[in-house]
Amino acid sequence: MVKKNKDDIAISVKNLHISYRSIEKTSIRNSWDKKKKRVDVFEALKGVSFELKKGKILGIIGKNGSGKSTLLRALAGIFSPDKGTIDLHHNTISLLSIGVGFNNKLTGLENIYLSGMLLGFSEEEIKQKEKEIIDFADIGKFIYKPVKTYSSGMHSKLAFAITAILETDIMLIDEVLAVGDARFKEKSYNKMKELISDENRTVIIVSHSLSTIKELCDEVIWLNDGKIVKQGDVTSIVKDYEEFMKE
Amino acid sequence: MKKFCINIKKYYKYALYSAKAELKSEVAGSYLNWLWWIIEPLCFMLIYTFVFGYIFKSNIEYFPVFIFTGLSAWEFFNRMITGSVKLIINNRGLVTKVYIPKYILLLAKSFTYLFKLFIAWLLNLVLMLCLGVPFTWHLVLALPILIVLYVISFGLGLLLMHFGVYLVDLANLVKIGLRMLFYLSGVFYSIRGRLDSLLGSILLKANPIAFIMDEFRKVFMYGQLPNFLFLFIWFVIGIILCAIGIHVIHKNENNYAKVI
Repeated sequence: MVKKNKDDIAISVKNLHISYRSIEKTSIRNSWDKKKKRVDVFEALKGVSFELKKGKILGIIGKNGSGKSTLLRALAGIFSPDKGTIDLHHNTISLLSIGVGFNNKLTGLENIYLSGMLLGFSEEEIKQKEKEIIDFADIGKFIYKPVKTYSSGMHSKLAFAITAILETDIMLIDEVLAVGDARFKEKSYNKMKELISDENRTVIIVSHSLSTIKELCDEVIWLNDGKIVKQGDVTSIVKDYEEFMKE
Repeated sequence: MKKFCINIKKYYKYALYSAKAELKSEVAGSYLNWLWWIIEPLCFMLIYTFVFGYIFKSNIEYFPVFIFTGLSAWEFFNRMITGSVKLIINNRGLVTKVYIPKYILLLAKSFTYLFKLFIAWLLNLVLMLCLGVPFTWHLVLALPILIVLYVISFGLGLLLMHFGVYLVDLANLVKIGLRMLFYLSGVFYSIRGRLDSLLGSILLKANPIAFIMDEFRKVFMYGQLPNFLFLFIWFVIGIILCAIGIHVIHKNENNYAKVI
């Protein structure tokens, strides 16, 4: 693929540290005797740095607990970095994971508007795309029913439809390729490819499916224990990773 | 503070839409629908009127209006405080999936509570008409009093929302505190009439809810001017609370997703 403005950087991450501190939930009684409290810090990311050019597709691989989802959430702004910086260069970003924040009591349609507004779209913009989203989600009359009545498949179908139709500059995709039934899976896979092939869109995919990574990505990052093991060319790293996982 | 203004500008439409949707969903499933918004406050008023007007023989004039005015203000405060403690946890699905300034959640909630308060006030006006309470131009002054009530509730709510994330049993403590405050606020008795002047005036000045209820009654029922000096003092205190709350939330909001 030939890209315009090759040097345009969409994401730069520098020395990113994220830790889960033991400022966990506590009761009033426990917070009285503070001595007992050990400061138990779990570092999910230990100094990750990378840059991604506009229009590129980055895959992130790694075993469970290696910090992949934490990295995505940090990019989406849900977690703040404990150290280091994330610069998105004024691009809009959305995290396409299973279920964008839905309010369970409200109907699917209302949730389309609410999620859209949270992604930074105006009511009018969403109105224009409303039909497209409903058609794509393909959950029939359930769109007018509260989200709590949805099956998990319908839930993710709607979530996918919202983020896929309301396009942002950067899309973060977390294992979502396995959404819904076989038919929707194919449809979403195709839609994903269509979105990804847009030259101006930057995409980061987290997946355990190495075949997907190989097929879609331009670059890949292999995370292990919160650090980047390898970064760069897809085929060679996936091969190394496969060998690592066999051990 | 600048960040707060930008965020409010950016997200207030979201808050409005979310409040509207929430109100709609609240009534969509029930048989009597939106009538509940009227039935509920009306029934509470009747209960209190019966218990305190007839059993305890209160001799306050226009007792139902007296109760209703206090009760509507109390309900707003009560909802704000109770609602904010568990607000982040109840919105787990949202908080862990997208970024949203957390006070927007409280803002959206407060819109629904404000709506309910206005319904209660409409009922109150009807009640006043029925019981022949004289209407005066002082009614307009309910608005500045409401602003003071809102600012105080919002500020307290922000702080409780923050601590509610970390302290699991804060809700219990708040419940006890609210119950105490309820009885100390004179919802169903007149602080002026029941307590001796020293204790009464301390209570009316130090307890913002008692004070605000008293001011509401002045403008609704008695055609009197509110105590502007103390309104201003409580307004300033409320603004300070809000500023602290906003600061604390800006500093910590991104950690919430890690804890819940």
